[in-house]
Amino acid sequence: MSNVDKGQVEEAAPTQAWLMGAAGWLVPGVGHLLQGKWVRALLLGGAVWTCFIAGLWMGGHLFIVKSGEAGSSMLYQVPPMVANLGTGLLYLICWLFDTGFSDDPINAARSTYEYGNTFLLVAGLLNYLCMLDAFDISAGRKS
Amino acid sequence: MTHFLVMTSFAALAAVVFGIVAKDNQRERLVYGVKVFGEFLAIGLVLGWILYFLPF
Repeated sequence: MSNVDKGQVEEAAPTQAWLMGAAGWLVPGVGHLLQGKWVRALLLGGAVWTCFIAGLWMGGHLFIVKSGEAGSSMLYQVPPMVANLGTGLLYLICWLFDTGFSDDPINAARSTYEYGNTFLLVAGLLNYLCMLDAFDISAGRKS
Repeated sequence: MTHFLVMTSFAALAAVVFGIVAKDNQRERLVYGVKVFGEFLAIGLVLGWILYFLPF
């Protein structure tokens, strides 16, 4: 029996929901801000921005797939890069200014280096959750 | 910055996001956020002590 027969037809998400999701990904917090959810935008965006800036401050490393690396070594960079990419424009700005991407042995020797990496990865992953939240609110699936 | 402070900051930031996106009303959000925060800290401390006694 199809979903139509069961009366469980799901409405397609409106274009605006996709735009809110994209805005939320691009600049953490903006997806909620554009929908007038000020407090939520401040808390969610603030958490992601703080996580990202703290990660960079602690000497964390942003991941990127480099074409020069051999086979599986290149593939290992993909999952953390996807996580880092969750911060949207923050990641892209760092990439443009080459901030946080260099394999700096001085940074790597810092006791907070791994913490920094984790903060940067988690900032991106948290922003994916925020992005989905903004999408759901705009699509009317959440209040 | 101490390791504990870093862990606490991490737990707080993650708890804020988890609390807001996972629940639908203010009270549930607060309760869930506090619960996630406490769990992060408790599990971190327990794992830290377990690893402390491991010889490798």
